[in-house]
Amino acid sequence: MRLLDTHDLSPLIRRWSKHSELSAQDRDAVFALPFIKRSFGKDAYIIREGQEATECTVLLKGFAFRQKLLRDGGRQIISFHIPSEFVDLQNGVLGVADHNVQAVNRCEVAMVPREALTDLMADRPAIRLAVWLDTLIDASIFREWVVNVGRRDSRTRIAHLLCELSLRLKKTGHGDDRYDFPMTQEQLADATGLTAVHTNRTLQSLRRDGLIELSNGILRVLDWQGLTESGDFDELYLHQQI
Amino acid sequence: MTRSQDHPLGNLMRQLELYSKLPDEDRRLVLNLPHRLRRLDAGSYLVREGDKPTQCMVLVDGFAFRQKVTGDGSRQILAVCIPGDAVDLQNMFLDVSDHSVQLLTQSHVADVPREALQELVLTQPAIGTAIIQLTLVEASILREWVVNVGRRDARERIAHILCEFAVRLESRGLAGDHGFELPMTQEQLADATGLTSVHVNRVLKGLEADGLISRKRRYIHYSNWRALQDAGDFSRRYLHISEHDTIAQTY
Repeated sequence: MRLLDTHDLSPLIRRWSKHSELSAQDRDAVFALPFIKRSFGKDAYIIREGQEATECTVLLKGFAFRQKLLRDGGRQIISFHIPSEFVDLQNGVLGVADHNVQAVNRCEVAMVPREALTDLMADRPAIRLAVWLDTLIDASIFREWVVNVGRRDSRTRIAHLLCELSLRLKKTGHGDDRYDFPMTQEQLADATGLTAVHTNRTLQSLRRDGLIELSNGILRVLDWQGLTESGDFDELYLHQQI
Repeated sequence: MTRSQDHPLGNLMRQLELYSKLPDEDRRLVLNLPHRLRRLDAGSYLVREGDKPTQCMVLVDGFAFRQKVTGDGSRQILAVCIPGDAVDLQNMFLDVSDHSVQLLTQSHVADVPREALQELVLTQPAIGTAIIQLTLVEASILREWVVNVGRRDARERIAHILCEFAVRLESRGLAGDHGFELPMTQEQLADATGLTSVHVNRVLKGLEADGLISRKRRYIHYSNWRALQDAGDFSRRYLHISEHDTIAQTY
C-alpha cells in the first residue's frame, strides 16, 4: 500500500510538491504527523476569532471560508478554501486566531497539533519553505482581494472571484471547466462587499452573456477567455506555475 | 526618523525582535548582511509588478506603499511600509513580484542580495521564524484591509487606517505623543480605502469637527484614543502587537 495514494495528508503533499521539492524523508515526516480527524456541518464554525490556537487545520473534504464579523453584524469573507489547503496556518506561529473560519458545506478536516507542525518545520527546511510559500501565496491572494473590493465594479468583482476559484480548483485536480460550487449567493456577496440582491443580478448577467452556468451547486465555465476579461483577471498573483 | 548612530539595518532588527529576542549570534548575522545603501526620491518605484527581483529592499528610513493598478487604470494601495520594513520579503521565495512598491517620501533603502537573505533564513531557525512571523502579520493586516474596504463605511475606513498607523509606528518607537506624521496625500488615503479624495477630505474634516483628530499639515494628533478606535471599529488584535511590545533599542 502506497501511503502517497491512501494517506489523508496525501493531497497536502501533492499540492506542496507543486511549489517545493520534498524528499522521501520529508514526505515520511509529514505522514508521521499526528492529527485528529473531525467533521463539521454546513455553516459550522471550525475556528473562532480570539481562540487560542492549539492546532493547525488542513481541509480534507468540502469547502471552508475565513471571515470577520463587524460590530454592526455585517460579515466580510476574506478567502475561500478548497481541500488540501490549511485554513489557519498563521495560528501555528501567531498563537491567537484573528478571524473566524466557517464550513461552506460538510467538511472533513485534519487537526495537527501546533507543536508537531512547528517542530517539523524546525527540523526540515524543505517543509519550512513549503509552509512559507503557502503563507506568501495566501498573502498575495489577500492583496488581490483588497484590490477586488476596493477598486473593481460589481460585475468585475464577481467574475474575478469565479475565475480565481475555478482556476484553483482546476489546478488541484478538482474538475475541468465544471466544478463543485457549494457557495451561496449570500457568501459570494460577503466575499465581494456587495449585497445578495446585487450579486444575484450580476450572476444572471454573466449567465446571460454565456460566460458561466451556475445551478444546483455546480459551476460551469463556458467561456474562460470571456470570464477572465470580465473579471480583469491575471493569474500571476496565484503564483502557481504549471 | 532613524536614530543617530543607528545601523542602517537597525530598524529591521527592531522589527525582527518585536516578537522574540534573537540570539546574539543571529543578531550579528543580520547586521552583517551585505547591503548597498541608496537614497531615492519620493515616488520612486522599488519594485514593479512582474519584476523578477534579485534584491530584497529594506526601508532604512522613510515610507513606502504597495499598490496594484486595475485593468481600467485605477489604483489600489494595499499596505503602507514604515521604516524597518523589508518591502519585498515575499520576493525572497516567490519569483515574480505580484505588485509594485513605491516610495511615499524621500528615503534611504538598503538592497540586500536575495541569496544572502535566503541563506540566512534557511540556516538560522530563529531568524526564519521571526521573518515568518512578520509575513504572517502582514497577511493578517491584509485580511483586515479586505474587511475595511469591503464592509465599513467611509468614516470607519479612515479612522481605522489612522488607528492602525498609530499602533504600528508606536510599536517601533516612531510615533509622537498622541500623534504621528502621516506622509500620505488625501488621494493616496483614498486609494488605500477605496474612496475618492473628495470623500476622504470630507471625512477628515468630519473627524476633526467631532474633536477626534486635529491636523497640522501632515501631522495627525488625537486626544481621545478610545474615541478614535471606536470611530474606526478598531481592535488591535490583528496587528499581533501587545501594548508592551515597543522596541526602542539602538543597535
